[in-house]
Amino acid sequence: MFLKTFVIAVIYFLLFSSANIFAQEIKERTETIIKESFGKDVSFTFRKYTLPSNIKRKIENTVKQKFFKDLLYVYKISVKDTIVAFGFLDNVIGKSMPITFFVLLDVEGNIISTNIIKYREPYGGAVSNENWNEQFTGKNSNSDFTVGKSVNGISGATLSVNSVTKGIRKITILCEEIKDGI
Amino acid sequence: MRYGFATLTVLVAMFILPNIGVSQDFDFFEPHTTLGGYGELHYNYSKTEDAKSKKTLDFHRFIIFFGYAWTEKWSFKSELELEHNFVEGGQGELELEQAYVNYHHADYLGFQAGVVLVSAGLINEYHEPPIFFGVERPFYNKVIIPTTWFGNGAALYGNAGGFDYKLVVMEGLNSDKFSPSSGIRSGRQKGFKADAENLLYNGRVDYLGIPGLKIGGSYIYNNAKGDSTTNQIGLAEFHAQYQKNGLYVAFEVGNISYDSGDIKASRGFYFNLAYDFGSLFQVQSKIIPFFRYADINTAAETKSGGDSEKKFHHTQWMVGLSFLPVDQVVFKVDYAQKTVELGSVTTDLFNLGVGYMF
Repeated sequence: MFLKTFVIAVIYFLLFSSANIFAQEIKERTETIIKESFGKDVSFTFRKYTLPSNIKRKIENTVKQKFFKDLLYVYKISVKDTIVAFGFLDNVIGKSMPITFFVLLDVEGNIISTNIIKYREPYGGAVSNENWNEQFTGKNSNSDFTVGKSVNGISGATLSVNSVTKGIRKITILCEEIKDGI
Repeated sequence: MRYGFATLTVLVAMFILPNIGVSQDFDFFEPHTTLGGYGELHYNYSKTEDAKSKKTLDFHRFIIFFGYAWTEKWSFKSELELEHNFVEGGQGELELEQAYVNYHHADYLGFQAGVVLVSAGLINEYHEPPIFFGVERPFYNKVIIPTTWFGNGAALYGNAGGFDYKLVVMEGLNSDKFSPSSGIRSGRQKGFKADAENLLYNGRVDYLGIPGLKIGGSYIYNNAKGDSTTNQIGLAEFHAQYQKNGLYVAFEVGNISYDSGDIKASRGFYFNLAYDFGSLFQVQSKIIPFFRYADINTAAETKSGGDSEKKFHHTQWMVGLSFLPVDQVVFKVDYAQKTVELGSVTTDLFNLGVGYMF
């Protein structure tokens, strides 16, 4: 009887808790990036941010890419009680799977770093490379994000590159729009 | 019974409760269906010296991509292809070009089983029209790496530290159908009740750690078998592609060795040089003129020697233009001159095309 119960529990665990494990991974990776970026004195809070429909529509029309959902995750990051940065955790769709990415911006809205938190496709995984992500540092809502011109492509990762680049650009505009109210 | 229920409750609580808050906040994934596709219409003109010219209008490829993701790790992906509008009397093809269950364990390791692609060169796995230059795929990618090369089998893949790899085991080639004019191309079984006597083994490694650069190589081994022949082949190839600041450079070189039959080796190479003039201006469109030079010989070394090594050897130069109003739509034009070594026979080629992907 105990064995039967145990097997049922394990199956239940495998079926229904995998999302929790992934969610835990995403949270831990994101918060590790924040701690590594700002050192031991950092403190942060996060909240779900529901996109106001007018801002959402405006950004989607400008960038030509829809938001993954009506909400995303916003971190407010402080060092010794002074706000130093904002972090945005969001998804874009690659060829068929969501790509989870995290953008850190300073209080002026300039990108400090971008990171791919979770990649789920069999092709195009090179968008996770640090070298590729470094090219976004310093960009803001007024910067050019044209792939092949201001943003280097990756051979074999065309869809992912286009998708992530648009996703990052959306965040720079969103940050500019809402940073005074975060 | 009471004991079992208590155990279950404790176990579920252990596994689930600590993560409920996180799950609600960071639950990004939902099972979903994906629909996509690509296609290309071609106008082809060719004229060989004094012979009558040939002109065709052909909707060369129409592909539907269909996929479903059950979880973040388990998904199904497929591509169904119709070539040349319809199928009749041995003309046109309806192909299940990809159809595999994919398990993505982590970035460094994934697994596929079903109809999978050979992992070789720049085009076989990335063949959507907006991605490559020229209306038709490079001739190298017809007879040295015969794209689209797919079959029933399984693969491991992954990337780490800037390196990307793939290992494939799948159905082999039919050696009865090898020929001096097209090398191994006609030997692909395409998953049609494929003979699994002698499997094909393929491995590829690329380095992508330098922004804009992809450089790598692959090897394919198969003890190919037909009804009346066997032929052990090895295909070694090297490829490199650089895309940065509007510049596009690509190079591929490959060699196929055979251990029986008249052909001992097929080999070839090509390089592309292109520049996006759209990158000079504040426009979203891409305007990319390109130049290509290719040297291909499907019967580079033969047992009979002499003219048989010149008959299928050709060099080709091509100039063309790709115009992409958006990244997923391309209009193409190219002009090429192909010269066959035997008799220095020259053919002029002119192509127009429109392609898309989504």
